[in-house]
Amino acid sequence: MFDIDLQSRVPIYEQLYKKTIELIIKGVLKENDQLPSVRSLAKELGVNPNTVAKSYQELERNKIIYSVSGRGSFISKISNSSVKDYILEDFDCSVEEAVRIGITKDELKSRIDEVSL
Amino acid sequence: MIELKGLTKKFDSFNVLDNIDLTIPKGTAFGLLGSNGAGKSTILRLISGIYRAEGGTVMVDGENVYDNVDVKKRIFFINDETVQFQSYTLKELKNFYKSFYPKFSEELFEKLRSTINLPLDKKLNAFSKGMKRQAIVIIALACQTDYLLLDEAFDGLDPTMRIIVKRMLVDAMIDRQLTTVISSHNLKEINEVCDSVALLHNGKIIFSKDLDSVKGNIHKIQAVFEPISPELPQTYTMEELTGLGVEILHFEKNQSVYYIIAKGDVDEIKKKLAPKKPVVLDIIPLSLEEIFIYEMEVLGYDYNVLAQN
Repeated sequence: MFDIDLQSRVPIYEQLYKKTIELIIKGVLKENDQLPSVRSLAKELGVNPNTVAKSYQELERNKIIYSVSGRGSFISKISNSSVKDYILEDFDCSVEEAVRIGITKDELKSRIDEVSL
Repeated sequence: MIELKGLTKKFDSFNVLDNIDLTIPKGTAFGLLGSNGAGKSTILRLISGIYRAEGGTVMVDGENVYDNVDVKKRIFFINDETVQFQSYTLKELKNFYKSFYPKFSEELFEKLRSTINLPLDKKLNAFSKGMKRQAIVIIALACQTDYLLLDEAFDGLDPTMRIIVKRMLVDAMIDRQLTTVISSHNLKEINEVCDSVALLHNGKIIFSKDLDSVKGNIHKIQAVFEPISPELPQTYTMEELTGLGVEILHFEKNQSVYYIIAKGDVDEIKKKLAPKKPVVLDIIPLSLEEIFIYEMEVLGYDYNVLAQN
């Protein structure tokens, strides 16, 4: 599930962080789903457990996951987490680019209406 | 914790290590990078108490290592030269190490040995290079020391064995806070296994920090700046951009496109370049391999020079 690219330039902990968010956005991971333990994920990927732990900490800090001591880490409710911010930031970037190449606000607005139907 | 303070090691009058300070916290997997002859193996040999330093101290868990049997019981060093005891069988070699390491686990040794099917009663001189390596690695893991020093250790291991070793390291790191120090030229391996790295050059430490901050702090930038007029592109010199407070390691310009390697936080770099009005500004992180090459270039260890001559 957490296939990451060990050859990539992007730090492993950052990839894990983003991957988790992607899986939530795509609906693969749902509220209260349990994440693999640091140990099993580190073993599966063949990476340093401190790195996995670090991305879990970062996810928890941004309220994307929560942990229950002795039981593991779970996906938080999306409305409470920063998954929304993550998607909106992406959206902002696309809007900026669209504006830069001359797409008008009205075009963008009607596009939103179309897509969100 | 491993602490090196003011460490100097000489061979004849040549300073292999020159007044080095380095701290390796417990539970980390620490990678030593550096050019050939930078002093990586020398550091490992000093930590394992094989060498006596000319100056400074090597402390492990607050104690001097040299000639200190109690501390050495907690350290296993896998040399980059394969096993010396050619006339021993694997069983004899195992018993030899077992006599020094009190936490040696027969159970773990047997589990590992049977996994990779290494013969117990054959002499090591009948082993291939890779098998000798496997032999010493499984003995090392079975010794269950607090510290494991690996000098080019992944060399000569096949991909399956590499995964076995990595998984063993994960367990040991979680279960008993194992500290590993790995020297390697295989930067991909370091990238996967380590959480902190130090870069050595000519017996000095260039930097020592956690891997993510190394990778997050150096970037490849591709930029195009707003032209003065449609016909007249901007030409900035490296000095002009450095003048904005951007720390540039490498500067290249191809027509209107700038290729820059710069240090610092992504957002900071963006902010500093903003006054020059970039129309295109792509910032991507560097691979560890590229970081190595550019850091070395700054130190005058430059592959371009060799290409020119």
